Amino acid sequence: MQAGLLKTFTNPVQSRRATAWLLSAALFVVYFMFYFNIPPGMEGLAAALGLDSRWTLYGILYTIAIIVGGGFFLKRHGNSRYHRVRTISLMFFQIVFAFSIPMVMELFGSKGFTFSIFWPLKIDYFYPSNIFEYPVLLIVYAFVTALIGVPIMTILFGKRWYCSWMCGCGGLAETAGEPFRHLTSKSSGAWRFEQAAIHSVLVLAIVTTALVLINWGLHHTNGQGEWVASYAGFDAVASKVQGVYQFIVVAMLSGVLGVGLYPLMGNRVWCRYFCPLAAILGLFQKFGRFRITVKDDMCISCGNCSTYCEMGIDVRAYAQTNVSFKRAACVGCGICAHVCPRGVLKLENKWDFRQGPDQKVIKIFDM
Amino acid sequence: MHYVIIGNGVAGMNAANTVRNRDEDCRITIVSYESEHFFSRTALMYVACGQLSERCVEPYERDHYQRMNFTRVRDRAVRLDSARKTLELENGNPLTYDRLLIASGSVPMMLDWPGIEFDGVGNFVTWQNMDWLREKAGTARRAVVVGGGLIGIETVEILLMAGIKVTFLIREDFYWPIALDERESAVVMDHMKHHGVELRLKTEFKEVVGENGKVVGIVTGQGDRLDCDTVVFTIGVRPQTDWLKDSNIELDERGGIVVDNHLQTSVPDVWAAGDCTSVVWFNGVRRPEQLWYTSRDQGKIAGNNMLGHSEIYRRGIFYNSAKFFDIEYTTAGLVNFGLEGEQNWYMREANTNNTLRIVYLPDGSVVGFNMLGRRWDHRVLVKWIHDRKKLDWVLRHINRALFDEEFMPRFKLVPGASSREVS
Repeated sequence: MQAGLLKTFTNPVQSRRATAWLLSAALFVVYFMFYFNIPPGMEGLAAALGLDSRWTLYGILYTIAIIVGGGFFLKRHGNSRYHRVRTISLMFFQIVFAFSIPMVMELFGSKGFTFSIFWPLKIDYFYPSNIFEYPVLLIVYAFVTALIGVPIMTILFGKRWYCSWMCGCGGLAETAGEPFRHLTSKSSGAWRFEQAAIHSVLVLAIVTTALVLINWGLHHTNGQGEWVASYAGFDAVASKVQGVYQFIVVAMLSGVLGVGLYPLMGNRVWCRYFCPLAAILGLFQKFGRFRITVKDDMCISCGNCSTYCEMGIDVRAYAQTNVSFKRAACVGCGICAHVCPRGVLKLENKWDFRQGPDQKVIKIFDM
Repeated sequence: MHYVIIGNGVAGMNAANTVRNRDEDCRITIVSYESEHFFSRTALMYVACGQLSERCVEPYERDHYQRMNFTRVRDRAVRLDSARKTLELENGNPLTYDRLLIASGSVPMMLDWPGIEFDGVGNFVTWQNMDWLREKAGTARRAVVVGGGLIGIETVEILLMAGIKVTFLIREDFYWPIALDERESAVVMDHMKHHGVELRLKTEFKEVVGENGKVVGIVTGQGDRLDCDTVVFTIGVRPQTDWLKDSNIELDERGGIVVDNHLQTSVPDVWAAGDCTSVVWFNGVRRPEQLWYTSRDQGKIAGNNMLGHSEIYRRGIFYNSAKFFDIEYTTAGLVNFGLEGEQNWYMREANTNNTLRIVYLPDGSVVGFNMLGRRWDHRVLVKWIHDRKKLDWVLRHINRALFDEEFMPRFKLVPGASSREVS
């Protein structure tokens, strides 16, 4: 038995009862106060605390949540070395790369840069108006990591090197979001929605980036030395799309809904359904080495793996049919293997040419 | 063609799926009194302690019956008239079949001890047992679990995790001698004690003491009185075949349904699969297997044979796994069989609960493995046994069979330990 997971389904805040709804509502309010500064607002509170902006306060709270949640996770699953290393990695990248380095850069008068986040998750790293404010080395870094680093790393190690080892969104999900992982829907309907939604956001991110880049190319310096649009109509459309993306994807989906729905729909709502970087990582993962190996004929169909999968993968459907598999959604957190009472599952980076990359077609009814 | 399947456990459900996958038009009726949906019986302990919900232990989505066009009959089969191919049900109208599969599973074993009728006495095998135990876990203060096997330790765990003081009554000299040796058992028993279980070894059960219809204690074979409000008997299971006693179906002395190697019973057009079925083991002994994966395989093969194919049920080298609280257990091959001339190589990794025991014959060929703590790949172990690998070779290559989570240290043989230890 997994000591930390006992009573998961009898604890009210973990089982969608009134306290869970209240917690969700509270998270929504806090996020609205941060993102849209709705009254009473966070700007005033940040100023009262002597901070330069509400975003600094947000960063502090976010980092504290990952540290506290990380401690909680280690207490639950720290008996596994994989989970110890992975969780410490997530906390390290949040504390050092996402929080401290940008702050130190700002102390020295330059614009803060987060080395542990890439386009299209950080879409403005490809917006000329933003990225050209950085030194050349950082511009190169942003492009090389997103276009070359991400594919290579994912083919070698699967999506997990980012989603459950480095990413800040993943960091919060794996730590403070840990008590809610079983709430992710395992239905085939949710899987269909996931495939439609996440790839739509990816297309939207690419289109938005392309429009912004093209629009930048369609600017020129006028007689007064001002940087102006050559085609006012196109400029208006591009700016509008950029604004819509910023509001819907960046603010609403990744922030407000992504975290606000933790207590109701699980800790990976953003990562599973909407994150455009996760979509790219997922596509490369399907052709990479990483897979979950299933030990034949040992599964007892108990359902611990599927229940505790935060990405809503019905792991049991593969385990009970003896199918080793690769799924685009899998972030390689390793909980399925960890909670399996029969040691059926194992995460591996291993080329295996006997099995094609597409393991999606399985005999669901032939157990 | 009308196929009737008694039992929607893993054997019955796999037979039904097999039939439907190969014949889209036939009628398939599944009779079950225990539950509306197919569930994983081996996962009941997780529902009892709140680690899983009731829905979590259902391997298929809820519309499975509808999608597969199975007719569900919630009723209990009480009599079989094989001459007229009719099944009598407890409440509903009799069912006639063209081909019948009996996959009625097991029921908890109970002996006719004094006092077992008192409120507070129960078992842990069926869904209804689990409901009862879950309720007890919320109200009981002191419990006694009688019978030291796998279900026994699961029951102890459930009650203990609910904060109840538990006494574990074991008749034998140590926990689970059928599968563990004294050293391995000591590892498990120390682990139990560490979690606060009170173990009573070499202790028989005598009677339940009750007051006003409720359990207030038990008396052991030695005459000791233990106060408690809950007693769970986990002394084993037996085939659920009482209802077949006056039919023509041949049963063995344990009540298991005798089948041939096609899983057909002594009566035409009737097959059997799963816990209720008595099959011939590798050593020629006939008895039920009562494992999850064998029930599943039997269900598939019975389904195929009901369709008119001729598939033989053959058991390969035995393997199994379990978990004692936090300690995982893997076994393969012939362990604790007392083979002629067998020797045991044993080692425990320092400061861990990881043990490794290899059973081998005088010529050095390995016949069995028993491991606690770490995860092992039974496919590799079974292959080594099949290939008659020698002990020295196995010890040199032991890490090939490891299946631990990533980053776990490799298994290190203690220097000098490769010399053969006789036990």
